[in-house]
Amino acid sequence: MTTIDTSAQTRADEVLVPAPRPQKRSFLDSTPAKVLLPAIVLATAIGLWEISVQAGLVNPITVPAASDTFIALFEMMQTEYFWAATWLTLQETLLGFAVGSSLGLVIGALTGTFKVFRTAIWPFVVAFQNTPRVALAPVFLTWFGFGMTSKVVMAAVICFFPVVINTVAGLASVDDNARVLFRTYGASTPQTFFKLTLPTAAPISFAGIKTALTLALLGAIVGEFVGAAEGLGVLVKEFNFQLEVASGFAVVVFLAVIGLVLYGLIELLERRLITWQH
Amino acid sequence: MASIAEVREPVLTGERITLHRVHKTYSAGEQPVLKDINLEIEPGELVSLVGPSGCGKSTMLKILAGLIDFEAGEVAIGDQQPQEGRRDVGFMLQQAVLMPWRSVRENVKLPFDIAGLKGQDVEDRVDQLIELVGLDHAVEKSPWELSGGMQQRVSLARALALDPKVMLLDEPFSALDEFKREHLGLEFTHMHEYMGKTTILVTHSIPEAVMMSDRIIALGAHPGRVVADVKVDLPRPRTAGLVGTSRFQEIAQEVREALVGEDGSIA
Ligand SMILES: Nc1ncnc2c1ncn2[C@@H]1O[C@H](COP(=O)(O)OP(=O)(O)OP(=O)(O)O)[C@@H](O)[C@H]1O
Ligand SMILES: [Mg+2]
Repeated sequence: MTTIDTSAQTRADEVLVPAPRPQKRSFLDSTPAKVLLPAIVLATAIGLWEISVQAGLVNPITVPAASDTFIALFEMMQTEYFWAATWLTLQETLLGFAVGSSLGLVIGALTGTFKVFRTAIWPFVVAFQNTPRVALAPVFLTWFGFGMTSKVVMAAVICFFPVVINTVAGLASVDDNARVLFRTYGASTPQTFFKLTLPTAAPISFAGIKTALTLALLGAIVGEFVGAAEGLGVLVKEFNFQLEVASGFAVVVFLAVIGLVLYGLIELLERRLITWQH
Repeated sequence: MASIAEVREPVLTGERITLHRVHKTYSAGEQPVLKDINLEIEPGELVSLVGPSGCGKSTMLKILAGLIDFEAGEVAIGDQQPQEGRRDVGFMLQQAVLMPWRSVRENVKLPFDIAGLKGQDVEDRVDQLIELVGLDHAVEKSPWELSGGMQQRVSLARALALDPKVMLLDEPFSALDEFKREHLGLEFTHMHEYMGKTTILVTHSIPEAVMMSDRIIALGAHPGRVVADVKVDLPRPRTAGLVGTSRFQEIAQEVREALVGEDGSIA
């Protein structure tokens, strides 16, 4: 019997790949640099802010000192109304996000899968996408009242579109050659969906979901600005009316932290769900 | 040391491929893409299709894979008509088309998953296939960690997974650089010599066609039709040294001349 020895031949693939050289890594790529440099920028910014207020370069009535802002934040964190407001705004954000992104996934999946839907719905998606949707906030206030519902709806409407658009884009990104391959193996429609379409679309769709979460917080705050009795947005507005600018600033700083934490959490979830992205 | 003989027993049961008066037109009223194609490919034969871009080479493979219809004529692989999902037909494209969410191993396993096959037999077979294409050191790697040549090896292992009797290869090595292309081409030729699967190889490279094939079919364009059928009577197993022989050059020249006037891009 003839035997053909494949391993005895040199393998072109390996010959051509040069042996890994110890790479010269710049200091800028190292973790200390990635933490240290932004920290220096932040400290400098806060320092300049503090100094310019202390030196009287800006009016302390309109721009509070950094120190005053942090003191105000610390004091506020001892109060009950602050945490009640935080909880309410968080609920509005997360509920709006849940409703908006689930609907976005469903509509996006239908639009991306069925041509009828695409033809019928896509023009409206584009039209709404280019409408400043926050302009609807007063309308929602009239329809759904002063309470939580109008904010949830606002958040949902804002975060609906990036999910739709990214889901459609994700579904459209399935490689034609991969479809051909699945057909040659005689894959059924569910097999093609679960083994090809879904994993292809998931990373792109999820990028839309990430944006949606940030937008949901924005939607909730805008909703509160337009008309509400409670919530972090209400606090920002009222503190500014009362010229308690340090407290107003403090709430904004706190909102920034909430936004960052939410983003961090969803990114963590993404890394667990979509392990094949690099 | 791994040899194919240890990896698996030879099949040597390629199917015959027949095309009889095949006509294919994509849109009504236009010139046919394939016109009156008659071809008989013997079991175990390796036949290359060469010809200018757009002459219908991929179309012919898609017809054989059962992916598209044709208007007239008869096509048979073995004694059956082409059909999607035939396990006795393996298909390989210019792009490796690997799933980034699957490791090398799982990519090779895809055909078994779709066919609903599992168990220790499948696991063993997947290991053998990976060894056959020389990727045992990269089993758990992800596609993006592989070079183009390695990706194409995965694609080859996957095409061989269900032990097809017929291999349809659409420019499988074209995306590789010259050196890898020659190397993988020769390696595939040796596998073919051992396994005896009937193989149709689409290529733009006349030397590659001469090196690998038993026969070269030259197609002309507008409409796609057979302009030459050249027998390659070089000894097997093929070796890289054959390129320098005068017989090799004569055959290459014959194919080139058949294509002159068909399209400047090929010669
Ligand atoms: N799905 C399709 N619909 C309409 N026309 C098509 C389709 N696929 C291919 N064609 C046309 O049919 C002709 C043959 O295409 P085919 O892809 O078979 O050529 P080819 O020989 O494989 O070319 P290449 O060497 O560039 O890959 C071309 O003119 C092409 O434009
Ligand atoms: Mg082609």
